[in-house]
This record gives sequence, C-alpha cells and structure tokens, in this order.
Amino acid sequence: MIRRISPNHDRLQSLNGTWRDINGMPSLVSIPGDDRIVANLGIADLSFLTRFGVKGAGAVAWLESQKLEVPDRANTWKPLPDGGIIARLGLTEFLIEDSLHSSFALRLAEACQSVPAKVYPVLRQDAAIVLCGKAIQDLLRQTCSVNFQALSLAEHPVILTLMVGVSVTIIPILPDRYRIWCDGTFGAYLWETLLTIAQELGGGVVGVDRLI
Amino acid sequence: MKLMTCPINGSRPISEFFYGGELRSMPDPNMVTDEVWADYVFHRNNAPGIKCEWWCHIPSNSWFIAERNTLTDEIIHTYLWGEVV
Repeated sequence: MIRRISPNHDRLQSLNGTWRDINGMPSLVSIPGDDRIVANLGIADLSFLTRFGVKGAGAVAWLESQKLEVPDRANTWKPLPDGGIIARLGLTEFLIEDSLHSSFALRLAEACQSVPAKVYPVLRQDAAIVLCGKAIQDLLRQTCSVNFQALSLAEHPVILTLMVGVSVTIIPILPDRYRIWCDGTFGAYLWETLLTIAQELGGGVVGVDRLI
Repeated sequence: MKLMTCPINGSRPISEFFYGGELRSMPDPNMVTDEVWADYVFHRNNAPGIKCEWWCHIPSNSWFIAERNTLTDEIIHTYLWGEVV
C-alpha cells in the first residue's frame, strides 16, 4: 500500500496521543482526556479515509454503470452501502469517500483507468476534518458566513463555501457532527485556525477512535 | 453584507465571488479585419448601465452570468450560461 501522510500530520505530531496506521496513513486515534472534550467541541483529522473524485457531463452515467446510487440534485449527498458518502458538488462533479469498511474509492480509481468520453477523474488529496459536539455552531459562526442552522439536514445538503478564507466543502451529517474537506495545501492553516477557536470554546483535538 | 445569488449554491457574501468581465460575443479572428479584432481585444464599453457579466463562485468554481446595473451596483438577475432568462 502507498504510504500516505495527512496534511495535518505536523500539527498533530506534538500531541501526546496514540497513533495507528489506517489506510497506509499514520493517524491519531486517541488522546488522553479527549473523552471529556468530545461532547462539547471536538476536532479530528479524517484525512486517512480513501476518496475519489470524478467530474464531467458523463460522470453520472459512469457512476451509475459502477452500481452507485448518485444524488439526483446538485449539492446533496447520499450514504454509501457499508458507510461512506457520495456527494454531488454542483451539477456534474462528485466526491466519493469510503468509510473504514468500504472500498468504493479504490474500486472506482481502478475502473477509471479506462473511462468513456466526458468523464474526468479528479485527484482528491484533501485535508478531511470532522467537527463534533454541541458547540459546533459557535465555531461556525466565527469562521463562516453560511447560516447552517437554517438548513434541513434531512435534505442532505452539501455546502461549498469559504471558511476562514479557504474554499471548503461542508456536510452536516448530524446536528453535532460536521464533515469538512479542503485542498490539502490549506489543511494545516485551516486545522490550526479551527483548533485555536475550538480551544477558546472549551474544545480541542479528539482521536478518531472516539468518532468511528 | 452585500450578497450575490449563485444559480447553483444560492445566496452568498460577495467575497465568495470574483468578476470575470462583461459577457461579449467574440468575433471569428480568421474572418474579421485587424481593426475589428483589435477593437474586441483592447476596447471596453465602460458606460454605466445594465450589463451582463461573467461571475464565478470561488469555492465551487461555478461560472454564471449576472445581470447587473453598473451605475447602482444592483444585481438584477443571475443565471447559468445557456439558461433561458
């Protein structure tokens, strides 16, 4: 398996936590005391999950030919079997992210070695973050212009917006669990800024074992 | 906060957008005189009024057309290229 390093790796290394390789990426799985933080406001790095991107006018038909159920509206998402998500970013672009128990992204990456016309694979080397806890809205109000409380989570919205000046994709999975993706090169800045605000709000870093 | 409505992503602060220039039809450079081509490349009509402009929603890289009054900075309508207004 290819060795992967999280865009947030350097920011996490200084923490006195437990690490484990997940999908070929060293991942912070627990930190002493993170059980006290997780209910209030936790931030965790999920960059180790495998993901795949595809875009183009033929992307919907191609994904359906790969036995995937595609969201039918722009900026919505659907859960994948065995966990994971498929998100429709705008009209013709898709982000597929596996859970720990699925392998759609790897299968699609292999299948896209030979794709029909108007189907274009997109390299996804995102910094992937999850926010959890009851104080999420307090953090979002300080970092983003979108009013997330006005959204209906039952409609599975996908939000493409700016957060502290960085282009991000945000999915509110649950009222107390938000997923955030951004280009990996902005990952350390976004992580550090969100973490600083989270700490001011009484939160902090949590290991992924608390969340998955 | 000044808002603009992206046809795909909805109402967002203007800081999430950038301007891509006035919507103009490009003459075929192989079919027109140098004067007509140079006029297209170098000249702009900056008279204030209602203009159709290219705008882009930065986080999603969604390009669309905005009909805007450049005198009052009022955004009248936004739509995707190819959509019937």
